Amino acid sequence: MSDTHPEIHERWILKTELLWSFGVGVFIAAALGMILFTALTISVNPPSNVERIDPKSLHLSGEFAEHNLGTTVSDGSVTVRAIATQFMFLPRCIAVPANRRVTLRFASPDVIHGLLITGTNVNTMVVPGFVAQVHTEFTRTGDLLMPCHEYCGLGHSEMWATVQVLPDDQFKPDPDGRISCAQR
Amino acid sequence: MQPEQPSPPENSEVADGVDETALAGVMRTVPLGAAILAGSAVALLVAGYLLIYILVFIPRGTVG
Amino acid sequence: MRNVERLCLAHFWVAFGAFLFAAVIGTWQMWVRSPLGANVGTPGQYFMSVTAHGVSMAYVLTTFFIMGFGYFVAVTALNRPLPGKLWAWAAYWIALLGVVVTIVPIAMGRASVLFTFYPPLTASVWFYVGLVLVVAGSWVWCVLMIVAMSAWKRENPGRPVPLAMFATVANAVMWLWTTVGVAAELVFQVIPAALGIVQTIDVGLARTLFSWTLHAIVYFWLLPAYIAFYTMVPRAAGGRLYSDTLGRLTFILFLIYSLPVGMHHLLMDPEHGNATKFIQVLLTAFVSVPTLLTIFTITASLEIAGRLRGGRGPFGWIAALPWERPMVLATGLGFVMLGFGGFGGIINMGYGMNAMVHNTSWVTAHFHLIFGGSVVIMYFAIAYEIWPQLTGRAFASLGRLRLQLWLWFIGMMVMTLPWHWLGLQGQWRRVANFNYADPIIAGWGPWVVVSLAGGIILLLSALLFVANLAALHRERVLAVSRPLYALAVHPPRRVPAALNGFGLWNVLVLVLMLLAYGFPIAQFLIEPSPTAIVHRVQ
Repeated sequence: MSDTHPEIHERWILKTELLWSFGVGVFIAAALGMILFTALTISVNPPSNVERIDPKSLHLSGEFAEHNLGTTVSDGSVTVRAIATQFMFLPRCIAVPANRRVTLRFASPDVIHGLLITGTNVNTMVVPGFVAQVHTEFTRTGDLLMPCHEYCGLGHSEMWATVQVLPDDQFKPDPDGRISCAQR
Repeated sequence: MQPEQPSPPENSEVADGVDETALAGVMRTVPLGAAILAGSAVALLVAGYLLIYILVFIPRGTVG
Repeated sequence: MRNVERLCLAHFWVAFGAFLFAAVIGTWQMWVRSPLGANVGTPGQYFMSVTAHGVSMAYVLTTFFIMGFGYFVAVTALNRPLPGKLWAWAAYWIALLGVVVTIVPIAMGRASVLFTFYPPLTASVWFYVGLVLVVAGSWVWCVLMIVAMSAWKRENPGRPVPLAMFATVANAVMWLWTTVGVAAELVFQVIPAALGIVQTIDVGLARTLFSWTLHAIVYFWLLPAYIAFYTMVPRAAGGRLYSDTLGRLTFILFLIYSLPVGMHHLLMDPEHGNATKFIQVLLTAFVSVPTLLTIFTITASLEIAGRLRGGRGPFGWIAALPWERPMVLATGLGFVMLGFGGFGGIINMGYGMNAMVHNTSWVTAHFHLIFGGSVVIMYFAIAYEIWPQLTGRAFASLGRLRLQLWLWFIGMMVMTLPWHWLGLQGQWRRVANFNYADPIIAGWGPWVVVSLAGGIILLLSALLFVANLAALHRERVLAVSRPLYALAVHPPRRVPAALNGFGLWNVLVLVLMLLAYGFPIAQFLIEPSPTAIVHRVQ
């Protein structure tokens, strides 16, 4: 009986499965290739700067001392420093320029937080013990929301900051290179 | 290569009333229907992936 | 079959009881965070509720269902009594004790850390002790599954292990590997912190150890659904499994690739670098393979059934399928949800688009759809399929079962599709209430309400599910014993040892785990992160 039913032959079944796997494999390879390509050419990468910082003392001195928080322009490069803590960001409003590379650096003195900036691809966890760093270019002007997006305690729902993306003519740092949000 | 006989049903694999000749008959077409259905589904998946990548992700700016 | 009905039913009722409780409070949560419930509830109540919902759905429903189903398969697929039944009962009581021990501090507001319990937020030590007890009970189950399969192999030398049991043991082996991460995190870091033995904690290490468990656990949940796809659905549809070999291969691929990919949950974390993250993305791409293989194999199996029933042409076989049978209907609806859920998953997988969606409602949408949707609908189908055997009664009519499945599908789609959209808008997760006065947030309101409507439909479906099962206990129609497991088109007479056991695959798991997690964990031991102070949640 089996001679007249070669279609039930296991080898033929496995061949069709192999053909399907090949097609699936092409798709996966293409997706991975696209990820690799964009990483190399237009600089799309995950946060990848592993930098340690002591959460217990970061507010006292050094880079994340309170007087050093906010936007600073030095040698043409724009750096934003902010602290994520229960239950607010410091500063609560951040001014950034449009169409220029901006480096954002965050640290937490207490628990795990996270943040995103609406309408952009800026997204990072803020893990106590590490500096979180993201580079980006803001493509549109306006006010954006920067909420804390990781549960950090009962006040988590109220924790957010504002990001003001300013056009060139409004992004004017003071002589020390510092700039705060425009008062509106 | 000699095709193997379908084995006699095992303990828990009680005969299921599927007629072997009918099975051989449908196996001439299978898996064409599956290839079309599953293939279309995966193709839609790929298309959706590319659309979101190009239309939503890239316009939001580089990030690194 | 005689000796495990009570054992199985005991597990299932704990699972489904937790499920119903979680469905009720989940609906409350959705109301509270919508514009309609803007002034209802405090953050304390909300986060207590989210913790209870997550623990019930992610740890209780799943673990108890999987244990109960495993005992059922071990007896029916192997056609022999369960070895170590006393151990199984002991495991049940330990795990159930664990559930109670965990729920009490949650209810007292002393464990609002959510089911992911990321330190340095730290709950009452009893919260963690309860979870440890549940896991301990499940470990006993794992051992019993392995023992049952080994005993059968000794009595049946050279014969292929029935696929349903092979897959169940694959899941058990995977679970043993999976729980190592969270067990290490709890035993060495979190419980000492909760007891006050240490005042600080290495957060990077804790997060990495938890990630070891966090992704593999979803495959632990998913495998029983796939067991149904491969071993029950073809028979329910009246056809044959297209390929037994592919079935074995699929479960082996899950065993190997589920574990080393956990750090794709950490793609946005600062404690790991580019190289680690790219390896994670690569491995995650591989874990999509067994699912893509499955949709082809199971669709082909259904095509066989449809054509045997007279369906012709490229699509006629679809309509010809016996959609009135719950197992077939659930598979169709489940595959649609798998398509949408898988789409979301592939987007999460690449670190570029992951940045777009991380910790937004997109993520919430994804796991509710893929787990709550495609996996849990198969849990329902499995329950409906085996409840007659467990109770000795038959369902008088299948109409209410089908209604319940349709409500689940509709509710899940209505609830989760808007969430995907809201996530792209930037709506973030784990929020007790939104400020709908804010111009950006105001636009989200209507979609949140649509989502809430989906949640209410799900609640109705959950109630109907439990009612359907409960009704069967009182049904008077006696069940006719029916064989459950499908034959393959080519039932295997012999399979290579690699497809009949897990010795080789355990070695491969070890190698892949060293490759993926070796350095990332070692870095914390070589150069510990600056520690954070323990924050007790009271």
